[in-house]
Amino acid sequence: MTSFPYIIAIHLVFGLGLGIIMHRSDFCMAGMFRDVFLLNDYYRMRSLLLLIVLTSLLLYLGRISGIVASYPPSFFGTPSITNLLGGVIFGTGMVLAGGCAVGTLYKMGAGNLVSLFAFAGMIFGSLLFAELYAFNLSLTDATTMTVNKTSAEHIVGNAGLPVLALTAFAAFFFYRWIKEKKWIEKTYAHGHLLPWKAAMLIALITMLSFILSGRPLSVTSGFAKLSAYLGEQISPVYIADKPFFREDSLRLLNSTVTSGRLGTGIDSIALTQVPMIAGVVIGSFVSAVRLREFRIGHLPPLRQILSALSGGIMMALGSLMAGGCNVWHIMGGLPVFALQSLLFVSGLTAGSYFGTYMLRRIVV
Amino acid sequence: MEKSFENVVLDIRGQICPACLLITLREINNNMARLRSGWTRLIVKTDHRDATRTIPSAATAMGYDINIVKKEGFYEITIEHKK
Repeated sequence: MTSFPYIIAIHLVFGLGLGIIMHRSDFCMAGMFRDVFLLNDYYRMRSLLLLIVLTSLLLYLGRISGIVASYPPSFFGTPSITNLLGGVIFGTGMVLAGGCAVGTLYKMGAGNLVSLFAFAGMIFGSLLFAELYAFNLSLTDATTMTVNKTSAEHIVGNAGLPVLALTAFAAFFFYRWIKEKKWIEKTYAHGHLLPWKAAMLIALITMLSFILSGRPLSVTSGFAKLSAYLGEQISPVYIADKPFFREDSLRLLNSTVTSGRLGTGIDSIALTQVPMIAGVVIGSFVSAVRLREFRIGHLPPLRQILSALSGGIMMALGSLMAGGCNVWHIMGGLPVFALQSLLFVSGLTAGSYFGTYMLRRIVV
Repeated sequence: MEKSFENVVLDIRGQICPACLLITLREINNNMARLRSGWTRLIVKTDHRDATRTIPSAATAMGYDINIVKKEGFYEITIEHKK
């Protein structure tokens, strides 16, 4: 059950699922934050909240029933300033890039050239981060905020309390929004999947990921690995020389492979994140083709290209600094109340506000 | 002499995420007098799926009629004065 082809296949399928679901429902987290600041439009953001609360509830139920084994979440470390800073940088970058980490992937798969440039920026930014790796490590160590506590439940002292409080609080608003008919807005695009339905499906996928691999989904390390492969073609010496690409940064529970380096080579990242990245791109490509909406060919204005490139670079830097991208922290960390993720998302919110401002002033 | 219909075409395919609504709103405002006269239509070509939610919603709220047609690989949204 834990053979290499199986792990690769599972994560490819997760990616395909995410790619199709997000493409059909426009579930881009960058867009969600940006729409709030730019247009005072909370429509898609509500579904993100639904996703977080649902995932949180599912994981808690899984944990008390024993299906989900990985508690307390060991892969979320103690919080430091780098989570916050990384979040700010990531938040700014994702708005400038026109899409978050997965958003960029699914838009690229559907033929959007802006996101192709953002993707290139993310690869390049991952390479750049190798230079900052040591500095980031020492900054992280120097600003660690707790000794042992990694989740809000450690602070509260009770595992169920945060979940139940969140669920109760959210249920009140969710119900009100049903009454106010705020869960549905008319969208004329063909094959549209309502965001709230997408949220439910994505919560299920996250749950599956926890059950099968013991950890949430992520793509950041996958990007770093891809950048290493690319970098090695250009300058093997550069890659081999960087500790960032040599060190062991990943542990996969419930699997025979228990470590992962960000450099080239087969390890848990190659088996999980890279197939996921491929899956998202292929999934959205197939989704777009089936709707006959796949099209490449409209080159965006130069300003937008530059915005996407720099946004992509910032996303890579921000997520590598903070130990994960928006998928990892928002979809995986917030539901388990990881302190790192709370910091990251705070930073991301501020960053996306700033990014929206920059977008408005300079880009569009 | 009969006045003929004028179409202002806004081709914003392939652009960055929020550009669609912003540029469209800007164009609506630029052409407001001509649109309100009833002789001008704004035709927006976009491949951005969420724009098929935001543009109709905004245009309708501003008092215009909209019509959406799916073309090969993109959506065409026509905005004109209410009849």
